Formats: sequence, C-alpha cells, structure tokens
Amino acid sequence: MNSYFIGIITLVLSGFIAGTFGKKLKTFVLTLLTTIGSVLCLIPALKVLAHWGSENLVKTFNLNNLFGAVNFVIDPLAAFFILVITVMSLVSVIYSNGYLKPYLESKNINSHLVFLPVLIASMLAVVTCQNALMFLICWEIMSLSSFFLVIFESGKKDVLKAGIKYLVFMHISVLFIIIAFAIIAIKAGSFDFAVLKTVLENNLSYANLVFLLAFVGFGTKAGFVPFHNWLPDAHPAAPSHVSAIMSGVMIKTGIYGILRMLWMVGTPSKLISYTVLIISVISALYGVLYAITQHDLKRLLAYHSIENIGIIGIGIGVGMLGLAYTNPLVALVGFGGGILHILNHSIFKELLFLSAGSVYIKTHTRNVEVLGGLIKSMPATAILFLIGSVAICGLPPFNGFISEFLIYFGMFKGLAIHNFAAVIVLLFAIAGLALVGTMAILCFTKAFSIIFLGMPRSESAQNVTEDCGKSMILPMSFLALLTLLIGIYPQYVFWHIKKVVFAIIPQTTMNVCAVCYEPMRLMQTIAVFAVALVAFITFMIILKLKLTKGKIALHETWGCGYNRGNNHMQYTASSYASPFLSMLKPLFKKVFDIEKPKKLFPKSAHFSLHIEDIEEAYLINPMLKFDEWFLSKFEALQSGNIQSYIKYGLIFLVIVMIGSLFIG
Amino acid sequence: MIMKLLNFIILLFVPFIMMGLIKKTKSFWGGRKGPSIWQPLHDFVRLIKKDFVISKTTSVVFKIAPVFAIATVLFASLFVPLASGSALINVEAGIIIFAYTLGLGKFMSLISAMDTGSSFEGMGASREACFTSIVEPAFFILVASIMALTGNYTFDSLTQIMSNAGSYGVLIAFFAVVVLFIMVLTEGSRVPVDDPATHLELTMIHEVMILDNSGSDLAIYTWANGIKMLLISSLIANIIIPSGLSDWMSVLCYLLIMCLISIIIGTVESGMARIRMSHVFEFIFIMSSLALVVLSLVVARMFGG
Repeated sequence: MNSYFIGIITLVLSGFIAGTFGKKLKTFVLTLLTTIGSVLCLIPALKVLAHWGSENLVKTFNLNNLFGAVNFVIDPLAAFFILVITVMSLVSVIYSNGYLKPYLESKNINSHLVFLPVLIASMLAVVTCQNALMFLICWEIMSLSSFFLVIFESGKKDVLKAGIKYLVFMHISVLFIIIAFAIIAIKAGSFDFAVLKTVLENNLSYANLVFLLAFVGFGTKAGFVPFHNWLPDAHPAAPSHVSAIMSGVMIKTGIYGILRMLWMVGTPSKLISYTVLIISVISALYGVLYAITQHDLKRLLAYHSIENIGIIGIGIGVGMLGLAYTNPLVALVGFGGGILHILNHSIFKELLFLSAGSVYIKTHTRNVEVLGGLIKSMPATAILFLIGSVAICGLPPFNGFISEFLIYFGMFKGLAIHNFAAVIVLLFAIAGLALVGTMAILCFTKAFSIIFLGMPRSESAQNVTEDCGKSMILPMSFLALLTLLIGIYPQYVFWHIKKVVFAIIPQTTMNVCAVCYEPMRLMQTIAVFAVALVAFITFMIILKLKLTKGKIALHETWGCGYNRGNNHMQYTASSYASPFLSMLKPLFKKVFDIEKPKKLFPKSAHFSLHIEDIEEAYLINPMLKFDEWFLSKFEALQSGNIQSYIKYGLIFLVIVMIGSLFIG
Repeated sequence: MIMKLLNFIILLFVPFIMMGLIKKTKSFWGGRKGPSIWQPLHDFVRLIKKDFVISKTTSVVFKIAPVFAIATVLFASLFVPLASGSALINVEAGIIIFAYTLGLGKFMSLISAMDTGSSFEGMGASREACFTSIVEPAFFILVASIMALTGNYTFDSLTQIMSNAGSYGVLIAFFAVVVLFIMVLTEGSRVPVDDPATHLELTMIHEVMILDNSGSDLAIYTWANGIKMLLISSLIANIIIPSGLSDWMSVLCYLLIMCLISIIIGTVESGMARIRMSHVFEFIFIMSSLALVVLSLVVARMFGG
C-alpha cells in the first residue's frame, strides 16, 4: 500500500519537475515520471485483483478532529478503477508526446504539464479514499485540474466558454454529492464510509433519498441525460489526449461514485432500480441520436460517451433489479456487464479520441464534411479508427460485444422475474439497446466513411501526405490490440470482473458463486466463436487477395454513364444521416442558415444546417435567459460606490444580529 | 450427423433455389416463361470465374468487405435452427450473437459502399442503415417477448409458442410470422421495400450498394444476401412446423415452407409496386407495431390470468 502513496506523490510532482526541463525534454520527462508513478500505483491494485477473498489493502491516517480517521482502501472495486485509470491515462500521456509537439511554444504548456498528472493522481485518490470529507476534496481537485486542462487553448473564445460551462456543471453536481454525504454523515456522526454503510443499510428510507441525490451528483459527472449538457462542449474544447482521459477515464469516476453508493446501500429498492434503468436507456438513446446529427468529430464522440454511459447504466440498472428481486444470476450478469463495459468503453473511446486527434493534427479541422480519402494517406490511423468503430458498435469479435452481450443476457434472464413491471421495462430496454446498437452502426459507418473513404472533399484533406509518428501510432495500436484480446478471450476478463461484482453485492443475502458457471460457459462459447470468426476471416482475406492478384482492372466509379464526377458530388455526412433524422424530426431543433441565390446572375448562396441539443434549446437557454432577466433587476444595487457597499454590509450584520436574537 | 450435414447443404444451396423460384413466380404472373429455377446458380458460377473491374477511388476496405459479408452470414447461421433439430450452437441469448454477427457484415458492406465515393452508393448505404435501425428493435422485441413467454432463452423457444401460449398461441404465432415476413422483405431487399430488378439507381437500396462490385465479389454478395433471407425464413419455418415430427418429415416441411415463402414473395412483387421511398418507413413501422402487438399478447397471457 505504501507504494501507492509514493506513486501518487510522484504523479503530483512529475509535472513540476518536467516543467523545469527544456522544450525538447519536457514531455519525455513527464512521460517517464508518470510511468513510474502509474506502475507504483498499479502494483497494489493488481495484487488485490489477483487474490481471492476480502484481502483489501487499508492505510489509515489519523487527521484532526474535523476529518476523523481517513482510510484509504483498495478493495476489488477500487482496484478495478485504479487499473482503468492508470493504464488508460498512461497511454494518453505517451500519445501526448507526439500530439503536443506543435504546441510546445504555447504559453499554457507548463500549466498543462502540471495539471495532467495531478488529474491522474486525484482520480486515483478519489477511488481509494473512504472518508467523505477527504473524498470531496479529492473530487474537487479532480474537477479543477480537468478544468484547467480543458482550457488549454484559452485564447479561443469557444474553449473558454466550454470550460466555464464545465466548471459550473461540476459545481452543481458536487452540491448534490455534498448534500447526500451530509445527510448520512449527520445521522452517522462520522465521515468514514464503513460507518456510513452500516447506517444506510439499516435505514432504507434514508437510503432512497441519499442514493437519488448521489445519483444526480455523480450522474452529472458521468453524463447521464438530463445532466449531460457539459459533455459535448467540454470534450471538443480539450486537446485530444485530454478528451481521451476525460471521456475514457474521468467520467467513469461518476460511475465509481454510483457503485460506491450502491455498495453502501446494499440492497436498493425496486423503484430506484427502475429509475436507474430507465434513465440509462434514455441516456443511451439520446446520446447516440445526437451523435448522428453531429459533424464535429469530437462532439460526435462526446455524444457517444453519453450513449456508452447509458449502456453502463443499463448494466448497473439490471444488476440492481437482480438485487431488488433477489435474483443472483441477473445481479451478477448485469453488474458484470456494466463494469466490463466501463473497461471496454475506456479502451475503444480512447482509441477513437486519439485517432481523431491524429486526424486533427494532420488536417487542422474537426469538421468531417471537409475530410475524405484519408485512408490513403493515413492508413494506420484509418485501420485503428475502424477497429475502434467496430468495437464501439458492440460488434463481434471485439470487446464491446462481450459487455453488451452480458447486459443483454442479464435482461433476458431478468424476464424470468415474474413481475409485470419488470417484464415490460426489460422488454423495452432490450429493444432500446438494440436500437442503440443499430444507430451506433449508422453513426460510425457515417463517421468512418466520410473521414477516411472516398475522395478528399477539401484541400485540408488533400494535403495530408503522411501518417503520424510512432509515438502516436504505438499507443493506439496497443489499445486496438486490447479491444481484440478482450473480444477473443472474454472468460479470463469475466473471471476477474466477477470479484469486483462480489465486492459490491451484499454477500449475505444471496449466493452469487453458485450461478457463476452459466455466464462463464457462455463466455467460453463466445471465445471459441470469436477465435473461429477471426481465423476464418483472416484466412479468407489472404486467400482472396492471393487469388485475385493480377485479375483486377481499375476504372472510374460508376456514375450512371457520367464520367466527370468530382469530390463534391460524393455523399456527405448530413445526407447520409438525413433519412434517419427526417424520421425523428420532432426530437431536434434545427437551425437553418440559408442564403438563397437571387436575381439572374446570383453572386453568392449558401446553405447550412445546424442541429441544437433539445435540452439546451428548450431548458437550459430559457433558464439562463430568466436568470439574466431576474438578476438584471438588481443591477441598481451595484453602484460601484464603496460607501453603499459598506452600507449593505451593515444592513446584513443588523439582520443577522436580530435574527440570532429570535433563534437563540 | 447426417441431419447436420443436410442442414449445411440446405444452407448453401436452397438460397439459389429460392431466388430462382421467386423469378419463376414473377414470370408466371407476368405471363412469361421465365428463366429456369437453376438460373441464379448458373449466374453464380459464371460470376465466380470472372475478373474484376473496381473503382480507382476504392481502398482496401472495398476488397475485404465481401469476405465479411459471407463469413458473417455463415457464422450467424450457427445460431439459427434450420431444417431439423436445434441450432448447431444452441446457447441462451444466441439471438444476440446472431444479430450482432450479421451487424458486423452490415457494417462492412455499408462502408464498402461508401468507399467508392459514388453518391448513388452513398444513398443506398444511408437508406440501408436507416431501415436496419427500425427493423432490429422490432425483431428483438418479438423474439424477447416469445422468450419471456416460453421461459426458454434459446431460439428453440420459437417452436414452443403453441405449447406455452394456450389459446393465444395461434394469434401470437400468426403475428410473429407476419413480423418475420416483413423482415425477410426488408433484409432481403425485396418489393415493396426495394426493387432488385429496377434499372434506376435512385430507387434502389441494397442493389445500389453493390453497384461497383463485379465478378466474384458480386456473386458472393448475392449469395450472402440469399443466405440471410434463408436464415430469417428459417425462423418462420420454426414457428410453423409442428414439434414432434420425425427428422425427415420436418426437413420436408421446411423445404415446402421455403418454397411457399418464395412463391409469396414473388406474388407480392408481381402484385404491388415498390412503395415510394419516403413511405417505406411506414411500411417497416408496421413490423414494429405488430411486434408490439405480440408483446402485449404475451403480457396478457403471462399476467392476464
């Protein structure tokens, strides 16, 4: 356990040390120190994951009266998150070596290098700290450091705006978490999670309220609809490796919070389980739907984060239903699928964000409509993006399929709960997840083919001559390899995920071990199937390329006899998505920007379509407008005159004194 | 063992016969003699031998996509009960492996269509992706409802509708068959959703996606599409064939049903025109609503007393 703290301290200091080095060495030193720190943190986590039973590592600090005893505990749940955080962050940091090259002159580079490892360290602290007060402090450091990372390009107005929006959302969310913790902490008289757990387990009426508050708070961090609004703005604003960390790892701390609350609550009530499940299905659908409308690659990926958080939530919701109805198999498979999807999503989402970053570095645009044909100039990036896309759609033989399969399996098994509400909700959740899957296919065939296939649609895509360097390709290849490995060897991963599930589920009420056999056997079937599929396809491809060598004649694309097709005649992303979106018209707010051609010889004309988030358009913007209007009524108070401010202070003091007379 | 081998042979060859039969039916209603039933098989053999012409715009994706098309339907077929007996890999929730494996093939064929940079093929891909996204959820609702009813989470549950649903059995089976038949029409790209025989690229869906494919690639795509049609038709057959038949009888019934489905498809194609593209959604939504009818029937049966 000591190595864990040495690791965290190394991480915190690494940015400051790296900042003192020269321009060329900075990122290298940072990578080196982060690697050391991450490995030091990873060792105890792996120890916990590799062992059976309740061999949690505990380290207690006795602080002053305010905090009480501060426990840092690595249980299987924490260990799993440490694994995700360290490995995924490390990959991003290695990637940043290549990505940051053009930015080394930037004035923000030093602060960026300081906050990057601080973010990693604070996340590591969040998942191990078991003292409510200390937890909140770490949580706040995490939010603030990620805020500074988001506003790396603070010269741009959009970036600053997105950053401030992020900051505001995070502080609304932390408010809910504080209230939730405060309610139980008052009842328990301690901040220690173990004490809070015993209180919550015995007060089910409290538990519902506290869980709901915490769900809102942590859900905002994770990006559940309707608390997701910061996400699609903040991810595109940040540099790609930071978006990768934020989307792949940081939003998962929100899920960690929810799971930790669940661990405290023990057996959730039925109502709460349904709420979580339904909100998750809606999040998944909402996320993927808006992802289809986006033309900004990173915004598209950000919406997919909402979708995947929804899928994770579905898994957790199914698991909670299993707990609520004491069905151990459903609980195991639901939680198992959800938790595995946390790992899977962090892998393929990071892969996608990093390859999006490579595209951005080469073309300087995130707008997919002006790209095209990049597979010829950037073949490695294209293949990696393709692997990420197939994985995120949940298609075999990659890892996304495994977790989605487990969640589906849990839902199918849940149908055996002979209860009207459960059957109806689960049937619709199954259909919802199927719809999410097909919509994801639509979205990623769009993204991949518009960016990488066809012909370049503009000069910025045409001018790309070479793929990015090894320091960017290698970390991405590692992630791609992971997606395939988990996909073809799922039983091993599930075996370890099971321990994490055991750490959450109250062992006393149900015997989960007895039902492990069934999903394990299924995982083995899928493993055999996936290996056979991969082998067959590889063999056939090699065979086909061999056999058809020299038999291929090249010609223009068939254009109905019209042979002068040009780049602008290709299908665009908007037109690709258009039939689907026209079907779901009422769910969007479309903003047209049209200049029609006028007169006989029109000089200029343009048309553009922008789709606004319905929540932003109809809920958040009116709220902001109301705020502006309401607060403008008090403008008169702010006179700029120091005397009147002293007067306000005096009036306030008098009110407090009079008030205290009455209360005291 | 013999049955498994027979299933495999049926899987590989019956699609051609079905395609031939559809053409024959269409020519019958059109008052023509029409090509022989074996014509699709001849076409396949002829195309396989040919060289390729491919577009300069295409990349490696275009070359490897046909492999995915055929590999995914063959691997998906492992999870579907065919002429007799259960599926080769008869696992719980096998429907998910089945649907998602087909999804992989669809993903690759969509991006292969986009790879040519042709606006026709983009149009086809866009429509195909769109229609799939309505078909899949309806399919899942249908199968999941039947699984909830029978308490059996493998594809075998399709054969158990009658024994579990009592007086609701006929209704549920009927609606399930209709839903799956619409799915055959959509996934197999038949009239009224798509017209494989048209000469206007603008109105095609699946055919336009493979506009630039030639030679053995084209042959493989057609074959894979036929197999896909057969797989979904097999689900229909499994609902209809009464359980408890001997193996050979059920194979006979299965082949009869396949012929019947082909003839119905051919008749539908002769009897009605392709629906206007903007109204295809409405047609496919019939499928979703009927799947919901099945769901409500199942729930009524389970909780209605």
